[in-house]
Amino acid sequence: MKKFISLLLTLAMALTLGACSSDDADAGNNEYGCDVLNVYNWGVYIGEDVINNFQDEFNVKVNYSLFESNEAMYTKILGGSHYDVLVPSDYMIERMIEEDLLQPIDKNIVTNLDNLYDGVLNKPYDPDNTYSVPYFWGNVGIVYDKTIVSEDDVVSQEWEVLRNEKYKGQIYMYDSERDSFMVALKALGYSMNTENEDEINEAYEWLVELDQKMEPAYATDEAIDGLIFGEKAMGVMYSGDAAYILSENENMAFYAPEKSGTNYWNDAMVIPSNADCPGLANEFINFVLEYDQSYDNAATVGYASSNAEVLADMTAAGGDFEGNDAYIPREQNDKDEVFRNNEPVREMISELWIKVKNS
Amino acid sequence: MMKKKPLSKLYLAIILLFLYLPIVYVVVFSFNDSRSLTHFTGFSLEWYEKMFGNQMMMDAIYYTVIIAVIATVVSTIVGTITAIGLSKSRRLIKESITQINNLPMLNPEIVTAIGLMLFFTALNIRLGFITLLLAHIIFCIPYVILSIMPKLRQVDDNLAEAALDLGCTPFKALYKVIIPQILPGIISGALIAFTMSFDDFVISYFVTGPGINNISTYVYTSVRRIDPTVNALSTLIVIAITAILIVVNIVPLIKERKFKKHEEIY
Amino acid sequence: MKSFRRMVYPYIIWAGIFIVIPMLMIVFYAFSKEGNAVMTVSFTLDNFIRFFSDSIFVNVLLRSLKLAIITTIICIVIGYPCAYFMAQLKPNSQTLMVLLVTFPMWINMLVRTYAWRGLLIESGLSPELKVYIGMIYNFLPFMILQVYTSLSKMDRDLITAAHDLGCDNKKAFLKVTLPLSVPGIISGITLVFLPAVSSFFIPRLLGGGSYVLVGNLVENYFVTTGDWNFGSAISLIMTVVILISMYFTRKFDYSKEDR
Repeated sequence: MKKFISLLLTLAMALTLGACSSDDADAGNNEYGCDVLNVYNWGVYIGEDVINNFQDEFNVKVNYSLFESNEAMYTKILGGSHYDVLVPSDYMIERMIEEDLLQPIDKNIVTNLDNLYDGVLNKPYDPDNTYSVPYFWGNVGIVYDKTIVSEDDVVSQEWEVLRNEKYKGQIYMYDSERDSFMVALKALGYSMNTENEDEINEAYEWLVELDQKMEPAYATDEAIDGLIFGEKAMGVMYSGDAAYILSENENMAFYAPEKSGTNYWNDAMVIPSNADCPGLANEFINFVLEYDQSYDNAATVGYASSNAEVLADMTAAGGDFEGNDAYIPREQNDKDEVFRNNEPVREMISELWIKVKNS
Repeated sequence: MMKKKPLSKLYLAIILLFLYLPIVYVVVFSFNDSRSLTHFTGFSLEWYEKMFGNQMMMDAIYYTVIIAVIATVVSTIVGTITAIGLSKSRRLIKESITQINNLPMLNPEIVTAIGLMLFFTALNIRLGFITLLLAHIIFCIPYVILSIMPKLRQVDDNLAEAALDLGCTPFKALYKVIIPQILPGIISGALIAFTMSFDDFVISYFVTGPGINNISTYVYTSVRRIDPTVNALSTLIVIAITAILIVVNIVPLIKERKFKKHEEIY
Repeated sequence: MKSFRRMVYPYIIWAGIFIVIPMLMIVFYAFSKEGNAVMTVSFTLDNFIRFFSDSIFVNVLLRSLKLAIITTIICIVIGYPCAYFMAQLKPNSQTLMVLLVTFPMWINMLVRTYAWRGLLIESGLSPELKVYIGMIYNFLPFMILQVYTSLSKMDRDLITAAHDLGCDNKKAFLKVTLPLSVPGIISGITLVFLPAVSSFFIPRLLGGGSYVLVGNLVENYFVTTGDWNFGSAISLIMTVVILISMYFTRKFDYSKEDR
């Protein structure tokens, strides 16, 4: 017994010490005053080696965590969690700027801004990129199996094809209130940033009808594998995921509705105002902008890079996404919009969305 | 009844098949050389390589083990001390502590989890390693107490009294007389605590913070897309658990034999 | 001996702080509104009114209850014969079977549920059916082991006696074995029903976003929406519903024993 306990205690001590030594890193004494960086990002949204490369180059430890929605990330921040780098979407960045939750990017450290593709800079959510550095960008469209769904139907009916009873039981709806309401509002010809309650209610009815008529599966990332493995024939998809699906399953095609328009989005790196290690955070952001790291990101994830050179190389002859329709999002379409932050509307559609799924 | 035996054995076999299907599946597909989850396209160790190169996954394993070990040690010690004290306490205290301990065991886990999260947040304690560890200790102790109490009821009070009369300090009486008698209860309590902590998802999910994942929370937040490295990780767990169970089941057998010999002498 | 009593005091404080206060905090949040500081707290029933005035929320609660009840019943129907046959085996085989049934429970529930996701991905089953499979899979061993324990404790002579008194196999089972195994079934129900009502990762992993249960609502309001007050209210409602169901199950147990 004595031996057993002392063995356990020794083991515990040894491990605790191990834990402490890794925690001690917090009080590092390099030029940044810290050598642990907390990065909070979307699932499957970074190159395989980027974190390791950064750790090696700066001799620090990166704590990497995942979130699955902007809202979940935001709630964590409000709950008092401290992260150093986040990668939220446009409207969430706008909201966080309004609520003073972000700190400006230190452009003395982030010198690689020149590598960025012009098309992703100076967007309305952060007009001169004071707080955010673009990471990935794209739009939203429909991925469909050419052998089951007719191309004519998709192109002529656009979003409305999601309610075409020919394809009942064959579709994935995107399981997020924002994206689903975007689809419905665009299908109805309204702006996806509408504040008009009647329009929102009409969109709600549209989604309820879809739910009842089509028996869709609601999914986010699960739909990616579902489409690759042919579980369903059609789904609402982000362009980057679509590019990945197209590269894995050649029966698949992508269409971003042109007449009705779609959501044009940006995800960007930001530093929260309560970050423990802003200096290192800026270094990390700068590091990600390098060609090699951006390339690793883009090749692993399949989204359109914010790095101009990488973007060009990916679709060039011999690139990973040569001839892939979904890779580079179109930029000139009056009907495409960027999400804006609007708190009352967000609350309203979030409540309505629960009702759609349970109607 | 006898003639029905083959049928009943068949039934048991089917149940076992059902229980082991996913485990066998995970082990087999962890050696698949493609991402496919339905077609075994060839043998490879690719996912194991990926797993060991995946820092987040390695961290998750590390945190799972270290938290399970510390939580087990602390909750076993605290639980044992409390259980012994409890067995000598007045009825009122005994009853109320038992009732309070029932709370985390009878409440849905998610309720315990959000209670702790609200509590830590209200106190402005940063969610992270410390809160995760604390939460695990909190929910393990009641199980340890629960598994020790029945053993304590069988302990003959006179023995401890006798030890005290013979000049033992209370601590010595505790250590030499009481603990050896309730040892099986302590060990099974520790074992329960370890598995509870090792497997916990719900509570960890709500009380953990930046960069601190255990295996469960890692799997939950990263499997939206099919990732065969999780199969490799699962296989590793299956092997580890098998090893632990073998040790745990064989050691008492040996002990028992020794114990029997011991008894024979008297 | 009384000196040992003091050993319990630290835990009384510990349990007060870490078990009782968190529970009270849920109650506190459930009865207050967003933005309430502790100093200016005002009591409100709004969160509960919001829940019960909306058929959607009530439907989700009912659906969770339905799922938990059906899962429990299926676990009894499948698990009882299994436990019964186990108890008939030779002692050594019994030990082996118990070990074999217990073993999967040692492996992380999330990992096993994840495995089902892969197994079922091309099955074309409805999300609801997948969730049922996941639930039954995860909770069946609890039922088997509970029923088995009560059956193996049973005195075999009772059945022999029943036979001697002229009962056939069926009658002996119905009059002797089944009633004596009721306590096992009841504790099995507790172990299956309770986690099934509040489960949220099984529906999440196997049902995608399409199959929302009350546990998912709680998760949603805590993790995504960040409305902790409403989330607390929902979890309080869930807890009360579970306590009531448990009360009736136990009552059923006692009334059986009275006879």
